[in-house]
Amino acid sequence: MRTLGLLRRRRALLNCAPISHDRVADRSMRAAVSRGDGSDEFVNQQNFDRAIAELVHLVPIPPESAEWFAEKDAIRVPKWTWRKIVLNPAVLAISSAVVVIAGIFAFHLVGQLNDFPGSATARKLLTVAGSTRSVMLDPVSAEAGTLSDLFFMKHGLEHYDVPDEFADFQTFGCRVFDDDESQRIAQIWVGEKRMQFFLFPAERDGKTGAVLAFPGWRYVRQEGWVGAVTEHNGVCFMAALQGREKDLEPYLSKPKE
Amino acid sequence: MSDRKQNLPQLYRFCFLMLGDSRKAQEILNTTLREAAVRAAQGELPREPFWLFREARWRCLEASKTDLQPEALDMDEHDITPQASSQIKQLDPAQLAIWISAAPDPQRTALALFYLDEFDYLEILDIAELKLSTLSRCLRQGRRQLQAWLDAKHPGASKT
Repeated sequence: MRTLGLLRRRRALLNCAPISHDRVADRSMRAAVSRGDGSDEFVNQQNFDRAIAELVHLVPIPPESAEWFAEKDAIRVPKWTWRKIVLNPAVLAISSAVVVIAGIFAFHLVGQLNDFPGSATARKLLTVAGSTRSVMLDPVSAEAGTLSDLFFMKHGLEHYDVPDEFADFQTFGCRVFDDDESQRIAQIWVGEKRMQFFLFPAERDGKTGAVLAFPGWRYVRQEGWVGAVTEHNGVCFMAALQGREKDLEPYLSKPKE
Repeated sequence: MSDRKQNLPQLYRFCFLMLGDSRKAQEILNTTLREAAVRAAQGELPREPFWLFREARWRCLEASKTDLQPEALDMDEHDITPQASSQIKQLDPAQLAIWISAAPDPQRTALALFYLDEFDYLEILDIAELKLSTLSRCLRQGRRQLQAWLDAKHPGASKT
């Protein structure tokens, strides 16, 4: 049965054998042609086909139609240029979406790079700084560095110390309040550039309870306010003012006396 | 589109063989090329190979639907003879085109595409959407019927 099928296929291929030998398309056709090559029937068929093809090539082309052939580029597929690709609405939409996503990603990445233990609390306190009015504080006129004793004696807050860089500033007032996480926060208002100081517990490891310390000063920004934060003895200190980092820099680089 | 896929003189010859009428073949060629030019300008030209031939074929079949149809006859069939070449040489291309255009489809398409000597059998199967067995039968039968017609037309030549 298989042999019969093969013979039938070879016969079918021979009937479709190309007129020009350079058009032998595939191996099966090549095999069929080479087997049939010697037979009278196939030779007659090839001569017959060749004669008809030659006759077909004698079909004259009318001059009206020949005009089409002169315009070789009439049916050229327009090439894609960079300009076309860029101005394609789909490409524009996708690239805008990618830019927006990349922007959001970069914003979060930069934000995370600036993060440090306690940065979330510091940002919340900058919002508090923006909404605080002087009447909300208890009037206190003293050097900021001396308020540590007040916080300890009156509120039992240990190590709520103002760093040396800001210890000499004259205060207008201060208060102690609980934030939304029931943390005790000390707030001090000083005359220098209407600066505000905040003292709050440093962030701790959830499992071990150890203080998550970080070295030096770190900046946070929120709603036009900037804060410089440092940690010491499990308490964070933040000096905040309305402005930019460069407004705080001179105080932080001031050498200790 | 590569030059072979838009061999326009061959496209005209194909239309001529399909219709057997130079004026109609020109019309179909013009319509097909105009359509292709418009599509190309809009960037919507199909990327499939031999689109022009496929399009022209359907237009030819459509155009010949309105023509007078040849009577369905059992045509004579003769074996191909060695003298066939000389019989064919006595033919005019228009006579051959009229004979092919009178054949029923798909035999008409198969003969027109095959004798253009432009495509291999796989490409013909693709353009005409045929199976190998059908193409083979159409060509074999077509040759034998054409031989019978040649014998009837030039009886002397077959005896020489």
